[in-house]
Amino acid sequence: MSATILTVDDSRTMREMLKLALTQAGYKVIQAEDGVHGLEVLKSETPRVIVTDINMPRMDGFGFIEHVRADDTYRGIPILVLTTESDAEKKDRARRAGATGWIIKPFDPAKLIDAIRRVSA
Amino acid sequence: MTTVSDPSQRILELAAVLDFRAAAPLTESLLAMRGTALTIDASRVERIGGQCLQVLLSAQQTWSADETALSFTNMTPGFVEGLRLLGFSEADFTREEMPE
Amino acid sequence: MDAMAAVKQTFFQECEEQLAELETGLLAMERGEAESDTVNAVFRAVHSIKGGAGAFSLEDLVQFAHVFETTLDHVRNGALEPTADVMGVMLRAADLLADLVAAARDGLSVDSGRSEVLVTELTALSPGGVGADTEEEDDLSDFSFTPVTVAFDFSDAPADAGRSYTITFKPRPELYAKGNETALVLRELERLGQMETSCDASALPQLAELDPEGAYLEWTIRLTTEKGEDAIREVFEFVEWDSSLTIQASDADADVDSGAGSTEDAFAALLRSIQGDETALPTATAEIIPLPLAEEREAVVEVEAQPAKASAARNGSGGANANANAAAPQTIRADLERVDRLIDLVGELVINQAMLSQRVMEAGHVPGSAVALGLDELEHLTREIQDCVMAIRAQAVKSVFQRIPRLVREVASMTGKQVRLITDGEGTEVDKTVIDRLNDPLTHMIRNAIDHGLEKPEVRIAAGKPAEGVVRLSAMHRSGRIVIEVADDGAGINRARVKAIAAEKGLIAADAALSDEEIDNLIFLPGFSTASEVSNISGRGVGMDVVKRSIQGLGGRLSITSRPGKGSTFTMSLPLTLAVLDGMVVTVADQTLVVPLTAIIETLQPKPADVHGLGGGARVIAIRDTFTPLIDVGRELGFRNTATDPLVAVAILVETEGGRRSALLVDTIQGQRQVVIKSLESNYRHVPGIAAATILGDGRVALIIDVDTVIANSQSDATILEPVLAAAG
Repeated sequence: MSATILTVDDSRTMREMLKLALTQAGYKVIQAEDGVHGLEVLKSETPRVIVTDINMPRMDGFGFIEHVRADDTYRGIPILVLTTESDAEKKDRARRAGATGWIIKPFDPAKLIDAIRRVSA
Repeated sequence: MTTVSDPSQRILELAAVLDFRAAAPLTESLLAMRGTALTIDASRVERIGGQCLQVLLSAQQTWSADETALSFTNMTPGFVEGLRLLGFSEADFTREEMPE
Repeated sequence: MDAMAAVKQTFFQECEEQLAELETGLLAMERGEAESDTVNAVFRAVHSIKGGAGAFSLEDLVQFAHVFETTLDHVRNGALEPTADVMGVMLRAADLLADLVAAARDGLSVDSGRSEVLVTELTALSPGGVGADTEEEDDLSDFSFTPVTVAFDFSDAPADAGRSYTITFKPRPELYAKGNETALVLRELERLGQMETSCDASALPQLAELDPEGAYLEWTIRLTTEKGEDAIREVFEFVEWDSSLTIQASDADADVDSGAGSTEDAFAALLRSIQGDETALPTATAEIIPLPLAEEREAVVEVEAQPAKASAARNGSGGANANANAAAPQTIRADLERVDRLIDLVGELVINQAMLSQRVMEAGHVPGSAVALGLDELEHLTREIQDCVMAIRAQAVKSVFQRIPRLVREVASMTGKQVRLITDGEGTEVDKTVIDRLNDPLTHMIRNAIDHGLEKPEVRIAAGKPAEGVVRLSAMHRSGRIVIEVADDGAGINRARVKAIAAEKGLIAADAALSDEEIDNLIFLPGFSTASEVSNISGRGVGMDVVKRSIQGLGGRLSITSRPGKGSTFTMSLPLTLAVLDGMVVTVADQTLVVPLTAIIETLQPKPADVHGLGGGARVIAIRDTFTPLIDVGRELGFRNTATDPLVAVAILVETEGGRRSALLVDTIQGQRQVVIKSLESNYRHVPGIAAATILGDGRVALIIDVDTVIANSQSDATILEPVLAAAG
């Protein structure tokens, strides 16, 4: 089962790290560099899960999640945000924007795969 | 089990993925078949979530209240596993809702 | 492991880009030109470095970046005014961050005292004072998640085999709308141990009244697990806000009904007891209360404002993208290896096409024939493809220019001079091979301009100039090359002094009559700059001769113009690529060699009277009354043992390091040609005197002569030449 994961992150390092961890776990990965780009990618791809960073140029993670949630086409797609442990407020905002869950940074591949399994069949 | 010879007998084939998105369409399909004896064919089901389970349970109640027959056939492992996770067993869906 | 190393490499590359972005942004803020986008970009740069550093456990970097980020956040949200003082600290913090990145990359450590000082300064700037956190927690604490680390007493170790828990779980519709799924939560829960699940569907309406996306079911789960309650809570982590959840540990003796009867009944009984009297049980509940609607709405508005604020200028964070301004052009990021492979292939295509042309001519097709015309078109197309492919690798010099402001600040503070840096043409593009090797010579030129070019403030004021000196760094394209200029408005070259030093060092005759231009160029002579002059800034033991040589090594040229009292301008001109080269194809002892055209001044046929032996096999040739060393390329490269007869050979006059000239003796000249450079080192190994190789139209491999090395080697063979040179001036 090779489900597709969309990763949205402005950091090339994070994108590569996510891709590495996800492909090793057998997922197919598509990438976007920020929220605007992410929405563009969604027009042609339907990922099983979306993993997004919060702090990004053009459109940040909150804006991105809200846009996705506001569009009926993407209903029910799980969205995981990348956030830091201390950021209860960010978690909260992400959750209110419609995020499904989160992945705590510093980034740990095992936690990522775990979180994805928790929100996708 | 309802018999195939019953003229009012209808069959509803469930979608493969019974997730959040599938709940509303499933409800509509079922409502459209209300009042007829129905066999729900689960042969394509790969997975089922909480909300589609609700719809199916509600349909069972509704058909039962309507005194119409409702049964499930061809339950796949994916369907049965979903039911199990959600606290139900195959038996909950094979028993005759309404004895003829 | 390999892949991870590659990601780490990306991280450091990206750090470079972020640091450059950071610096550019901070400088804009310092000038008071910062818009909120700039401040956001600056914040993001530090945040991003911190994020990556965290993933690689680079603790020093994470900690400093965190403090830096915190202070920047205050500027971002307006709590801290970006005054000159504040920006001064920020700039120094950026410098330290750069050093920490470099240290992390090279596995070194940075003086911890330096970071402590800056941490203190940064923290002092924070309005909240010491350790104040970034987040506006006050505004949100009312309804933000209060940690549900429930007061469970785990004194008797959580891991004792098989503790039982009773969990009730009632999702709300939002749980599903946000993409969570009860079945998946239960599946995760089951991984923790033995589980029995029952579902209460009593609230479920008939189909006609059912909201398909509503939530009517409630689950009760009996779980026996060795994991603690934290593990259970973690399973519900994503869904606890959007559900009603209770988790109770039941002790073994509290195991009400461990055999007969329905477990559901037992649970229901247990539940009732809990609901009736919470304190009666040795357990705790964490009932999750729904969020007040008003606040929910308020939060949404706040979030919506965000994209507008953070819009526009996606600063092309590095890469081949020259435009830093809005509406970022669409770009793709390609693996450099693939591009290089493409360039190689196009190179092969060029060679192939040349070979084909040659065959066609040999087959007797005259120029102008249909076949020849077709080939001309093919050649044209091939060239065009080559140009396009080379353009893929082109990068703006911005990436190099961005490092300069910091350098200027450092040198200025070390020399006590006031410097304003003006850059121009940073969007000018040049091949990546050139970009990669631009930094060192440029660094020297800038150091030189500030250290030797600009006067001290008091001297400038006395001369009627502003105290602040200007160094202008500019890049432009000119006749198929890139020209980079470093101009200062200092005192200009002190010609009398330069001439005196050169004479003192025996580089020129004391009474040599030199033009101003010739005097200015003396500073490029090897040995001109001496230890006594080499300050630790511009020198580092390296004179301008080395700079010039390294630029020549790139097929470039360096020149100087100077006006007394007005300043000096160093002009460096470089080829746009190091992947192709214009060369003169020559034959030496039946070998085909290529001499880079940039080194060649002229070719000539030696006459018997012009060539003089010096003993030891060394010879010189008189060219317009100047004795020039004559280098027998065949012998120098070991192609033959006997000396070439200069009278049946050709001399190629080349200019080398420090502007000195030598004549290369070759057998015949075949012609001029653009050749594709193939690295010999990657295909074979380094060969002294040979820079690289290429493949010619007829398929033969030709070696490209490294003019500088050949000449340096021949001179070490025959040191006797030195006095002659000095005499020749």
